[in-house]
Amino acid sequence: MKRRLDARLAALLVLLLPLLGTFSNAAEPKSSPIRFNRDVRPILAENCLACHGPDGLGRKAGLRLDREAEATAERKGAAAVVKGDPARSLLVQRIKSPDPKKLMPPSSTKKMLKPREIETLERWIAEGAHFEAHWSFIAPERPPPPAVKNESWVKTPVDRFILDGIERAGLQPAPEADRRTIARRVSLDLTGLPPKPEDVEAFVEDRSPEAYEKLVDGYLSSKQWGEHRGRYWLDAARYADTHGIHFDNLREMWSYRDWVIAAFNRNVPFDRFTIEQLAGDLLPNRTLDQQIASGFNRCNMTTNEGGAIDEEYLVLYTRDRTETVAQVWLGLTAGCATCHDHKFDPLTQREFYEMSAFFNNTTQRAMDGNIKDTPPIVSVPRSEDHERWEAVQGEIARAHGDMDARRKAARGDFDRWLPTAGADAMARSIPKDGMSLHAPMTEGQGQAVSVDVGGQTRLITAAKEIAWEPGHVGASSLKTRQDAGLTVPEAGNFGKDQAFSFGAWVKLPAPGITGSLFARMDDREGKGFRGWDCVIDGGRPGTHIISNWPQDAIKVTSTEAIEAGRWTHLFVTYDGSAKAAGVNVYLNGRRQERRIKNDSLKGPIFTSVPLTVGRREVGSGVDGAAIQDLRIYSRTLGGEEVQSLVRGTRDGWLLSKPAEARSPEELNELYDRWLIALDPSFREASTRFDSFERERGAIVERGTIAHVMQERGEDAMAYILFRGEYDKRRDPVKSDTPDALPPLPMNEPRNRLGFARWLMSPEHPLAARVTVNRFWQEVFGTGLVKTTGDFGTMGEQPSHPELLDWLAVEFRESGWDVKRFFKLIVTSAAYRQSAQVGPEKLGKDPLNRLLSRGPRFRMDGEMVRDLALAAGGLLVGKIGGPSVKPYQPDGVWEAVAMPESNTKAYRRDTGEGLYRRGLYTFWKRAAPPASMEIFNAPNRELCTVRRERTNTPLQALVTLNDVQFVEAARNLAERALKEGGETAASRADFIARRLLSRPLGVEEMAVVRASLGALSKHYAANPEDAKKLIAVGESKADPKLDASLLASYTMLANQLMNLDEVLNK
Amino acid sequence: MNPFEEFVRYESRRRFLSRCANAAGWATLASIVPHKVFGRESAGAPVLVGPHFPPKAKQVIYLHMVGGPSQMDMYDYKPVMQEWYDKDLPDSVRMGQRLTTMTSGQKRFPIAPSKFKFARHGKCGMWVTELLPWTSKIVDDLCFIRSMHTEAINHEPAISYIQTGNQVTGRPCLGSWASYGLGSLNSDLPTFVVLVAKPTNTEQIQAISARLWSAGYLSGEHAGVSFRSGGDPILYINNPDGVPTSVRRQTLDGLKALNEIAYKSVGDPETHTRIQQFELAFRMQASVPELTDLASEPESTFALYGDEARKPGTFAHTALLSRRLVERGVRFVQVYLNNWDHHGNVGGRLPMQCKDIDQATYGLITDLKRRGLFDSTLVIWGGEFGRTIYSQGGLTKDNYGRDHHPRCFTWWMAGGGTKGGVIYGETDDFSYNIIRDPVHIRDFHATVLHLLGFDHQRFTFRYQGLDQRLTGVIEESRVVKELLA
Repeated sequence: MKRRLDARLAALLVLLLPLLGTFSNAAEPKSSPIRFNRDVRPILAENCLACHGPDGLGRKAGLRLDREAEATAERKGAAAVVKGDPARSLLVQRIKSPDPKKLMPPSSTKKMLKPREIETLERWIAEGAHFEAHWSFIAPERPPPPAVKNESWVKTPVDRFILDGIERAGLQPAPEADRRTIARRVSLDLTGLPPKPEDVEAFVEDRSPEAYEKLVDGYLSSKQWGEHRGRYWLDAARYADTHGIHFDNLREMWSYRDWVIAAFNRNVPFDRFTIEQLAGDLLPNRTLDQQIASGFNRCNMTTNEGGAIDEEYLVLYTRDRTETVAQVWLGLTAGCATCHDHKFDPLTQREFYEMSAFFNNTTQRAMDGNIKDTPPIVSVPRSEDHERWEAVQGEIARAHGDMDARRKAARGDFDRWLPTAGADAMARSIPKDGMSLHAPMTEGQGQAVSVDVGGQTRLITAAKEIAWEPGHVGASSLKTRQDAGLTVPEAGNFGKDQAFSFGAWVKLPAPGITGSLFARMDDREGKGFRGWDCVIDGGRPGTHIISNWPQDAIKVTSTEAIEAGRWTHLFVTYDGSAKAAGVNVYLNGRRQERRIKNDSLKGPIFTSVPLTVGRREVGSGVDGAAIQDLRIYSRTLGGEEVQSLVRGTRDGWLLSKPAEARSPEELNELYDRWLIALDPSFREASTRFDSFERERGAIVERGTIAHVMQERGEDAMAYILFRGEYDKRRDPVKSDTPDALPPLPMNEPRNRLGFARWLMSPEHPLAARVTVNRFWQEVFGTGLVKTTGDFGTMGEQPSHPELLDWLAVEFRESGWDVKRFFKLIVTSAAYRQSAQVGPEKLGKDPLNRLLSRGPRFRMDGEMVRDLALAAGGLLVGKIGGPSVKPYQPDGVWEAVAMPESNTKAYRRDTGEGLYRRGLYTFWKRAAPPASMEIFNAPNRELCTVRRERTNTPLQALVTLNDVQFVEAARNLAERALKEGGETAASRADFIARRLLSRPLGVEEMAVVRASLGALSKHYAANPEDAKKLIAVGESKADPKLDASLLASYTMLANQLMNLDEVLNK
Repeated sequence: MNPFEEFVRYESRRRFLSRCANAAGWATLASIVPHKVFGRESAGAPVLVGPHFPPKAKQVIYLHMVGGPSQMDMYDYKPVMQEWYDKDLPDSVRMGQRLTTMTSGQKRFPIAPSKFKFARHGKCGMWVTELLPWTSKIVDDLCFIRSMHTEAINHEPAISYIQTGNQVTGRPCLGSWASYGLGSLNSDLPTFVVLVAKPTNTEQIQAISARLWSAGYLSGEHAGVSFRSGGDPILYINNPDGVPTSVRRQTLDGLKALNEIAYKSVGDPETHTRIQQFELAFRMQASVPELTDLASEPESTFALYGDEARKPGTFAHTALLSRRLVERGVRFVQVYLNNWDHHGNVGGRLPMQCKDIDQATYGLITDLKRRGLFDSTLVIWGGEFGRTIYSQGGLTKDNYGRDHHPRCFTWWMAGGGTKGGVIYGETDDFSYNIIRDPVHIRDFHATVLHLLGFDHQRFTFRYQGLDQRLTGVIEESRVVKELLA
């Protein structure tokens, strides 16, 4: 308790000090006792703790200065700190030592103590060297709001703390802002959009005492509230629509974004909001929504780069999750502790990895597969499909059950049928028409194979010994060897305009292999790879059809790879169109999705080299693939024909075997085929199953997915990594929370759920403080702690420590009620002040950290754009859904993207997609939305809890020239001409009320009239310019309006849209 | 007056002037100008950074070869390897080094000697591949390091490492550090410009994105501004259709007048900063098109750089643009040329890559010398790692592929206080391990910062409670004195 009081006293004293950006080293009145947290710790942190701090590994001389026990311990008869006796304290001796070798800090650190700092340390020791824990690690308690002189100013308890600071600095609060200003400010802060002019006027007219509260409540209950709050959260969650690394392909992630918006709109208490995002998947009876929420931990960047090492990336993913959670809920820069003990904060390397263990237990794999739905995922049906979704799942289970039952019951019928079945009928179903080569390759011995080519049977002898192995549609199959291809000179010689098809049963020796199974292709030097082949490309089957590689060629493979070690029927058809679209690839009779790499065939493909099995003419072979029943047709086979070929060869073979020679698996295979083909009841159930599966598929297809967390079966653990390197594992550690914070309760599971509940426990010193500070920052521009993501020793001290604690306790005790919290802030007198500032306040409170005036700062990029669209009447109010692609200059994606990326080409939307709110814009991590990035939007690669706010000429170019701003200006001008009355003044006023939420002043109107005069003159004299200007953007200008007039007002709107006051809130 | 004082005085004055005109956009102006003039964000900025001693290199052109060029096919001549054709790389050489998963599954590591001829050039006698006939003429101006090394073996971490000193993204790159430390020399152009050149062949392209030229934890104004080869060189630089300069000027005049009225009533200093930003934007609208318009270049320029220099986006065009940027006072020009990732077909692709850079590089160095810019401009050439002596995939005498190799690779520097004709460091016969004078990329960074006038240990930025450095907070590094003139 005493410590608490000390801390509070210290906090109060801070407010007495003259304020110049930092509160730490300011001069204190002689009379006030030295305080460790306020006065001493900053000096130690800056100069000493790097070597004598919490980092055990880097610690010099085994001395630690930030903790009482260690600093005052006697070592070799002396102590660094001897309470009450500076002269005997080694610390003082060394910092004042005349001997450069002994002087601390050593010259190699390039640091030097200032005389006043030395004096402070001496005084502190003389006064008894009282230590304190770092302020943010002590749980907040609600302090009494201070007494103030100007009682009448106070509207909420918040105001007492603020006014206290203002009065102590000898300042007066600013007068209340006028009603229009306050309406604009609160609308922008609660919804991210400007107020409707009629709402502003209604508020101005409403003289009832509840007028302001009504206005606030209206905004808090609007749907735009959730969008606006959600936008800030998405920066912290590093939400984006691509994976981020290498290909930077699409990631279908927006269901999480929509969850965030809805959660704010439903005013989900912040503790639930936290628990569902960190552990929604682990909640008992979890809902789909709670699973979607767990996507917070799936927003991190991932890779699929060839050659990347899995473990390295798994370590990075876990680290990112740990650092993000630490930033967002603990306000700690945990990243430092990945390599060594934290230099300044009480977070050891071991503790970092213990904490990381919570996030190291996912089933997610290292490689994202470059796909949009990297597992683990769940399907998220559209809301209108929810009912059917449940029903269909039941139907599928029922049909499945019926099929199982029938499968058990019908065996007798099958057994009776089997002896009557004829293998010949199956063989007859194999397409024969146009077959130009058939090589069964079932000999099983010897060095030759018999092939049927052009109706003739020939014996082909291999150069080297053939290896045989058991077959799949015949007793034996041939094993390919690339050093001894089997050649058939007369087979497979096709022209590019000729249709042809080819395929075989194959079994690949290993996953991911690359090479040609058979080919008629000339790959000798300088021959341009002319011809065609049956290729396996990283396990994916397909074909090259080439005149001259790569510029004159087709390359098509399936998107899926063949499973290695398993017999697969592979078939490729080509229709002679010289187009990749004319190629189809089938696996086991099913047509595959195509992956087209080249599609530029123009020249001939004839080549004189023979058809070769096992490789091309000289190279690119495949060793050890089993191959059987190779067929080439001089025509395209249809899908059903390919199926007949697959079944005919396989079933024909199985049926032709004597009953005793069939294995149980083979018998089951035949039984399955029989059930479908010849058993009506099974077929009925199977048809039902297929139909519900199709419906399920359709629901999945039109719905979206959610990336979710999924825990592995075992207990969470991680390895301590030497210097953070993934391949330098040290001790394994179990999941745990840092020692400097309250312990994880014994009854909580040691997983993410336990961790999340721990964060939200009342005795937690950080989570509530860090959260209210971030909310404060959203409204006032700067947090009470300026370093939003660093509440540690090196972070800045709070400007109003007591207010921060009061707000944290208030927020928690209100049941973590977010709307209530924001209402508390925006109804304060502090918030409602005018932003006007004069020299006195600029001198004493230059950065407005005392809140001696109302908040005024440049809005984020999304808000600047949303405001322009809203003013122009273009903004589409739709909430949620897939991300959109509004206007963006050509080539922004193309300039950075890899050719293989599916987010390489930016194809902008048309219509509605151009005019949605900024938070719906597609976020490609390698190239974030160009205009917003210029306004300091983060790239969302990593967690961002505080955006920068710069003021650059590039920003001016955006709002002056970007088509979306010019189009918005024209639409605003158009509305002004139609709805804004007949005079220049009334029209300018119309524009101003939509941008500034106020009418123009007399002086301003004079400037506007002059501008309008000059613009009218130009566009009257240059009608071509007028036409060009009003044609900017996809929306069409009203042809009934005079083009020159519209152009003049467009530029006037453009001018006003760029006002400093418009860009500021 | 001693030269350092003179420099500081000159530099400060220039900086002051340029920053006033420049306002917060391009430089840490707030470091000099009292916060009354500029906005709140600026007012919190740290004190003047400035160099620790007079820089030799005032400007930098850094040509990054994305993908990792093959050192033994270009600069690291290994004649002995001819006798090792298709023999296995001895385990004693590989020493269990980690490999990428692209070759870690290979059964053999057969040695692929370079198929290209080498000859000695210049007074320094540097061995250079036949693929670089123009560059061979200027070897005495270049300072070669054959012993660069890194720890990263995949592109993303490696390129991030070599440009920002850290394998994990989010740190400021070399150009941002230069901008942070030295500020701007020009009031109408950005301090740090990025140009992405397009290679002739594009089969082995690697990802390059804005994260490489981001300012990391430094203030956003130190991020590189990427000039585009297609469309507008700077985003949104052009007025909308139907808005001539005169109309833009009129609207800006009105805007300024209205902003002044607002300033009078509210008193927010940031309003004045904004007025200046709009004025700078207007000046850029004039200066950027002038910069990228090559009409004023005489025929001799194109004879020097090659005809390709006329084609926007080519490396030659980019090289020429780099010179024009340096001439106009841009502090740091970062160039990227992609497609050096030759996992296969070195025989086919390397000649194309070399052709892309050869004459243009010669042209750039020669041009800088003729214009008296060479001594104050540091030119850097290199990729994020080297390539393996053993072949990836099939091997013939004429063709082979090479995997990533972090343990040695060749870079060169020129001008800006470096010593021409130096050949530093040596690798073993396999161009696999360094046997003499290793230069870690941190050493390289320390050396470049030295040339820019900074002691890398004192050139810091406070972030996450640490004095962050390009060369790392705790890691060791040294300035390679042997490379300095």
